[in-house]
Amino acid sequence: MKKKSESLSRAARIFRLGAGVAGGYLAHQVQRPFLSEDEAKARRQSLGAQQAKRVREELQSLRGPIMKVGQALSMQTQALDPAWIEELSTLQRQAPPMHPSLIRAQFKSAMGKYPEEVFRSFEPEPFAAASLGQVHFAVTQAGEEVAVKIQYPAIREAIESDFKALRAAGFAARMTGHLKESVVQEAERGILEETDYVREADNLEYFRKHLEPLSFVRVPKVYRDLSSRRVLTMSRLGGRRLQEFLESNPSQEMRDRVGAQLVRLFFFQLFRMKALHADPHPGNYLFNDDGSLGLVDFGCVKHLKPEVVRCYGQFWSREWVQSNKIYAEMVRVAFPDEYRANARQVRRSMEEIKRFYDEFHPLADPPVLLDLGDPRFMEALGQLAKVLLKNKFLSPDFLFLSRTESGMCNILHILKTRVRTTQIVRELISPEVDRSSR
Amino acid sequence: MKSKRKSAQNVPPREGSAAEGKRDRKKELTKDRILAAALELFREKGLEGTTTKEISQRAGIAEGTLFNYFRTKEDLALFFFQKETDDLIAWYQGNTHLAKASLPEKLFAIMHRQLEYLAPSEDFIGAVFFRSLQPHSKLNPLSLESQQLRLRYLMFIRGILAEAEEKGEIPPLGDLGSYGVGLFYLGVVAHWLNDTSEGKQKTLAVLDRVLHGAMRIARKEGWEW
Repeated sequence: MKKKSESLSRAARIFRLGAGVAGGYLAHQVQRPFLSEDEAKARRQSLGAQQAKRVREELQSLRGPIMKVGQALSMQTQALDPAWIEELSTLQRQAPPMHPSLIRAQFKSAMGKYPEEVFRSFEPEPFAAASLGQVHFAVTQAGEEVAVKIQYPAIREAIESDFKALRAAGFAARMTGHLKESVVQEAERGILEETDYVREADNLEYFRKHLEPLSFVRVPKVYRDLSSRRVLTMSRLGGRRLQEFLESNPSQEMRDRVGAQLVRLFFFQLFRMKALHADPHPGNYLFNDDGSLGLVDFGCVKHLKPEVVRCYGQFWSREWVQSNKIYAEMVRVAFPDEYRANARQVRRSMEEIKRFYDEFHPLADPPVLLDLGDPRFMEALGQLAKVLLKNKFLSPDFLFLSRTESGMCNILHILKTRVRTTQIVRELISPEVDRSSR
Repeated sequence: MKSKRKSAQNVPPREGSAAEGKRDRKKELTKDRILAAALELFREKGLEGTTTKEISQRAGIAEGTLFNYFRTKEDLALFFFQKETDDLIAWYQGNTHLAKASLPEKLFAIMHRQLEYLAPSEDFIGAVFFRSLQPHSKLNPLSLESQQLRLRYLMFIRGILAEAEEKGEIPPLGDLGSYGVGLFYLGVVAHWLNDTSEGKQKTLAVLDRVLHGAMRIARKEGWEW
């Protein structure tokens, strides 16, 4: 009963949010006949930015899973203005912290036993916050070191009730065209998937198996008998987090090696596995002194359609410059009709991507060693993202890909690494991509 | 809170004769045996399906003797809650981690411990919980039979709140604080009994969020989920 009144007041806040946004929009509509076309456009844009900021701040103050909702909505680019995408994507995912007694209780609720009954030892203080939960170190009865990810209780129900409220508020927000029902549905599905640790365990095993050819990558092993939908027990990987790794002052040689491996890891997933670890947060990589890498947190994994991978390869190879046929094929895949990019906008996007690739993936022979620590690199990347959004390059698949890629680029930049990117892509671009594009 | 606590026979041990002390201990052991037998049978056959004859048989006593100890199932319930409170206080006092924990964690751990104690006898508790709402029930929060038990629980909670007040974790709440916690626990039990979520995890979330929110309100920091 307590619970009900809470979710009610929460619903009221979410609703107010929707109403507020709609209210602002209505005021704008009322004024519109009195404004010139340019004025109206400028007004609409500043209004959009204000509302986006307002929504982001309000979501932030609500905390908890709703922040994930905002984050997921930010991926639903076809329905949102750039201003919204920018604001919403700054939301951090975060469940409330759990004290040791809650961790014990939640573990018991999920596994039927207390951690101290199952493990030889269990650290009550968390090692890290995970999305929707936290990670604790433990030692199994057999003496193996493990990391145990434990989900905040009833997070799934909390997300569902937030979405219910969002829908109730949605009729107002829909008027602005910002939130379509299909968008909300897609966002909800995505987040609910992440609450299922059995699914994450499947992802882990899939990546562990398919990344085997890359000897420098380590993926945790799942302990199925110590896992459930809300608890995920994995082998503990060694290694330091990015910041600690950098504090150890790695040599340039080591930086270059690690950088090349990160690039190889990314393009191997893309071209060979056609599946991506989709959360390129620096905290999800662990760096070992021997240069090997640990990859953790497989809550968000994206399997890519073959035509998307092929199209990505074609962006890279720049063959479309010579072939109208390839150009048409790429436009069909990368610019689906519903995003309403016109021919001029498509052309602008394609040219901008080519310009970026010419600079950072030059097709030169022998391949150039690129300095990714160069500030121009990140500037160019930011510029590219801006131009693409402006020209409605909004297919979720590609937006997703480019976000994952820029996440990785960000890590490479912080590492101040130098990489022969072209050489690595040439090695990995799969044969069928080459063949089908010829 | 703790509507149902205390037992008619619950006379504090007096400095009486040694023989008297021995007799009391023996009585207590018999009551334990009866309670254990009854709870087992309730689990196997349900509250209504269990007869007093079966209880006395399993406890190894004459059926007539059973009534000397417990006249009704409510008496049995009161004894159950008395045991539960004993267990809770002993456990809390022996828990070194909790001594250093924050107030919301302490209260969370206490209530979770209580729910875990109730869990194996959920059907029994469910039946007596709703019976306790009847005015003539010995279990109802205002019944004199349950006062002693409830007082013990409230004093226990008051001690914990007083510590937190001393440390400046919360502003002085006085006895009102422990009554508040007690009433909240009653609500938690009702929620828990009706909680159909996997592993009753919703109750955990409600417990955690409400305690966290109440702390913020007590400190006048405003509500936050």
